[in-house]
Order: sequence, then structure tokens, then C-alpha cells
Amino acid sequence: MEALNIFIKSAFIDNMIFAYFLGMCSFLAVSKKVSTAIGLGAAVIFVLGITVPINWVMQTFILNEGALSWLGASFETIDLSFLTFIMFIAIIAAIVQLVEMIIEKASPALYGSLGIFLPLIAVNCAILGASLFMIQRDYTIVEATAYGLGSGVGWMLAIVALAAVREKLKYSHVPDGLKGLGLTMLITGLMGIAFKSFIGIAI
Amino acid sequence: MKFLQDFFDKLKPFVEKGGKYEKYHTLYEGHRTIVFAPDLTTGKKGSQVKDAVDLKRMMFTVIIAMIPCLLFGMWNVGHQHFLATGVEAELIDKILIGALKVVPIIIVSYAVGLGVEFVFCVIRQHPVSEGFLVTGLLIPLVMPATIPLWQVALATVFAVVIGKEAFGGTGMNILNVALVARAFLYFAYPTAISGEVWTYLGDAAPVAAYSGATPLAIAASTVGNPGATPVVDLLNDSWSAGIYDFWNMFLGIMPGSIGETSTLMCLIGAAILVLTGVGSWKIIVAVFAGAYSMGLIFNLVGLNEFMLMPAQYHWVIGGLAFGAVFMATDPVTASQTETGKWIYGFLIGLLTVLIRVFNPAYPEGIMLAILLMNVFAPLIDYYVVQANKKRRLQRATV
Repeated sequence: MEALNIFIKSAFIDNMIFAYFLGMCSFLAVSKKVSTAIGLGAAVIFVLGITVPINWVMQTFILNEGALSWLGASFETIDLSFLTFIMFIAIIAAIVQLVEMIIEKASPALYGSLGIFLPLIAVNCAILGASLFMIQRDYTIVEATAYGLGSGVGWMLAIVALAAVREKLKYSHVPDGLKGLGLTMLITGLMGIAFKSFIGIAI
Repeated sequence: MKFLQDFFDKLKPFVEKGGKYEKYHTLYEGHRTIVFAPDLTTGKKGSQVKDAVDLKRMMFTVIIAMIPCLLFGMWNVGHQHFLATGVEAELIDKILIGALKVVPIIIVSYAVGLGVEFVFCVIRQHPVSEGFLVTGLLIPLVMPATIPLWQVALATVFAVVIGKEAFGGTGMNILNVALVARAFLYFAYPTAISGEVWTYLGDAAPVAAYSGATPLAIAASTVGNPGATPVVDLLNDSWSAGIYDFWNMFLGIMPGSIGETSTLMCLIGAAILVLTGVGSWKIIVAVFAGAYSMGLIFNLVGLNEFMLMPAQYHWVIGGLAFGAVFMATDPVTASQTETGKWIYGFLIGLLTVLIRVFNPAYPEGIMLAILLMNVFAPLIDYYVVQANKKRRLQRATV
């Protein structure tokens, strides 16, 4: 039940984009077409759903102070938490590499349209952010998985909605200075206002 | 009418191509079409336009549909004023006090909004957008009567520039412009638009038992408070006898935003919109259905007294009816596909009740529910179209 709450909370209320402004670069750049946005969103859900629990295991059994005690009594005082960032990034990069290979094999068309943004998931701040939040909030492994998946779903929801809006705006007579990213920033702001309906809900 | 015709004819050479004030051609057209049908005729080839119902006529229909709400709202502002201060008053006094508070808000909203609109259409050389005629009346109707006028002006500028002109003017915006104005005020100056601001008191002192709490605030106060009195009892037991009785709330004789209190007047407006074919009945019905079904679900769950409130109360408290009739049906920001309209409306109703009951930060949910569904409307359309394509492809034989 707690895990379900965390899932809903991370998808809607603590939305990565509208509550924390994480993962904005690919959110703004890959939101021109709905189909591409769905592809990237699915990839982000996949990566988040795998990396957050793996990082949880890393953190609990290797990096935390005293986490290495399962190796023997002499390891009890070792504190490797200064390695947290580098370890997390390495794991995320490895998983992203895996996703890239899978997508290239399974759907070359999607692979082409995602372009550089697929390998760039590795440095998507939403993904590192989820792992770091997970530690801060002392989740169990089930909760951590739910949190990773929920964050991914929230991120996908945001980018797909933005893509649909931008597809509609193709026919608009937008002022020259605002074309492209400028207007997208404005839309993101207005979407943020709309998403405020969830912020503050207590589950 | 002859002198008007002469007036516009005399001006025409100045604003035509090559004329001295060529730049202001769009302004001229904008004013001329208010009194006369446009003198453009469609060519001999291509599509033929025979009906004089253009965007401007459509917008005027919406304004006519809003007039019952507006007049009732004016009377209600006065009525609530005298009720709260405990003074006996005649009908005319109530209307006068109401008009004194409401008319300045309308003037500010129209003057500022049309000013911005005219500046943009001269700079960008697009025709004057009739869209603001409706927005300019919607903005005052969703404000409390006590709102400071400068805030109305600020919100109008924000909504027209960021909410509409940045997207390329009328018909291009993704969020309802009037709701953007209200949401802007709600988040930027919350003290003037939440809490007990709904009754205009003026300098007079309220009667002893007076409380400015709206039904929504009363209902929300039972959340997280086990053993609270049922909401209906609380409403019936309010400071002024019978003010929050179900049928009294249906008529709208209670504090609230200027135009939103009366469900009856909104339904009259809805009838005008639906009969003239301007508003979509599907969306209106779907919003009410969504709110009712969510209310029923909450009745079954029944974790607190607000959830146990009879579902039909959600129809009459707050601005649900006004939002459903005048905001959700906005053809620009709603779903365009017919199936999409059902989904869009239903989700608005559902989310409204969800936000009301679950989100202690916002006692009223309809504003944010509509804004949120405005954001998702293009996505709903996208999937409806995709599903349609898929279905038709299956039928096709090679």
C-alpha cells in the first residue's frame, strides 16, 4: 500500500518536471512529436525502474557506512558514501548503454528519431535525481522500485502532453522571437500552473 | 444607421492599402464589423460562405448566454452585502450596490484587455481578435466582488499576453485565457482571492453571527477531523438560516465569485449555448456526470465527512456549473474530437471533486481541473484520431 502511494505521489504530485524541474533538457528538445516522446518516455521509465533499485542495493550493501559488514567484522568501519555519485553515474551509464542496444535492435526507426538524446539519458538529471532522492528518503527496496517507476511515468506523462500540445501549435501564427524553444518554455510554465492542482494533495 | 455607414465610409480611404493610416487597417475592420456584417464576399471558385455567423457573432451569443449569470451576480453581491451587515434593503438597492462593485471590474477588464489586444493587432497586423469579448466578461465573473481593480488589470495583461498572444492570438491558445487570469491571481496574490473574501462588506460591520466561509470551505473543514458533524448538517446549520440549503445553493443566493454562484443561471446559459449550437452539450453533460460519479465513489469509500457528502451537492457548491458551461466548453482549448469531448468533460468533473476532497490547499477544484485537462486535450485528441485510423485501416481491403 505504501509503495502504491509512493508511485502515485511521484508520478503526479512530486512530478520530476513540474515540481523539481529535473530532466528539462530532453523534455524541451525531444517533444516535437508524440510518437518520439512516447519512445523516450518509455526508455526513461525503463531506465528509472532498473537503476533506482540497483542503486538502492549498491547503497545499502556497499556504499553506506558499515554496509560492508557482511564481508567480515573488519569492514564495519568503512564508509564509502563519498563514492555515491560516481557509482550511481556509472550504473546509470551502463544501463543506458543496454537500453540503447535494445532499441537499436528492436526499433531502428525510434533509434534514429531519438538520436543523440538516447545516450544523453545517462546524464538526464531526473534519473540521477531519483536515485539521490531515494537515498534521502530512506525507502525500502520495494518503495524504491515504485518510486523509480512512478517518477518515470510522471516524466513520460509530461513529455507526451507537451508533445501533443506542440504538434497542435504547428499551425499557429507564433511571433518570430518566440518560435521553438521560447514558446515551449512558456508552455512548460503554463503546464506547471495546471499541474499545481496536484501539488499539496496529501495521501 | 446612415450616419454610422457614412462615418466608416469616410474613414475607409485612410486605412486602405496606400492610405495614410494603412497600419491601422485591422483596427478599422475590428470596429466596423461590430456594427456591420463584413463586406467581403467569397470568390466564385472554392468554398462558399453563406452564413453571416462569423466568430464575432458566435462570441456575442456566448456573451448573451452569460448575461443571466451577470445580472444575477450583481443582485447577489448586493444581497449578500445587506444580509451580512443585517440591513433590510429593497431590490433596487441591492442591484445598485452590486453594480457599483461589479461594473468597475468589467470596465477594467475590457479596457485593459482590448487595449493590449489592439496594440498587438497593430504591431502584428492580424485582425482584431473577437475572442476577448468573451474573455473580458468571463474574467470579472470568476473574481470575488472585493478584488482590487489593479489586480484585475494585471491578471488581464498576463492572461492576454502570455496566455494568448504569445501563441499567436485567438484560436491558438492552449489554456483558457480567463482561467489563466484567475490562476495567475490565485498563485500571485492568494490573499485577495481565497479565504473569506467572497462577501462585499464595505465599511459596515457584519452581524454578530456572520461568517464568510463558503460551502466548500465548510465542507473542507471536516477533512482530517474524525467525528465531525456531517457536511449537510453543518451547511443547514449556517450563520444565516437556510442560506446553504440545497435549493438555495441551486438558485445561487450565497457568497462566491460574482457569476459562479447560481447553478440555475448557468443552466439557462447552457440552454442558450446548446440551442444555438455554440457550446458542446457533450462536454457539459460529461462534466456533471464525472463530478457525480466521483462523488458516488467517494460516498462508497467514505473515509471522512466530506467524502460522505451527497454527490449532488458537488453540483451546486462552488463554481462547477459555471466552469462546466462557460469554461470547459471553450472550443479552442477543449478536445476537438467528439469522443474526446466525452473523455475530456468526464475527467474535468472527476478531477474537480478529487481536488476538492483531497487537496487541502485548494478548496475549489474546477479551475485547476479545467486547466489540467486543457493541457491534456491535444493528447486525448491524438489518441482518438489514432484509434479511429486503426479502426478504419482494419476495415480497408487491399
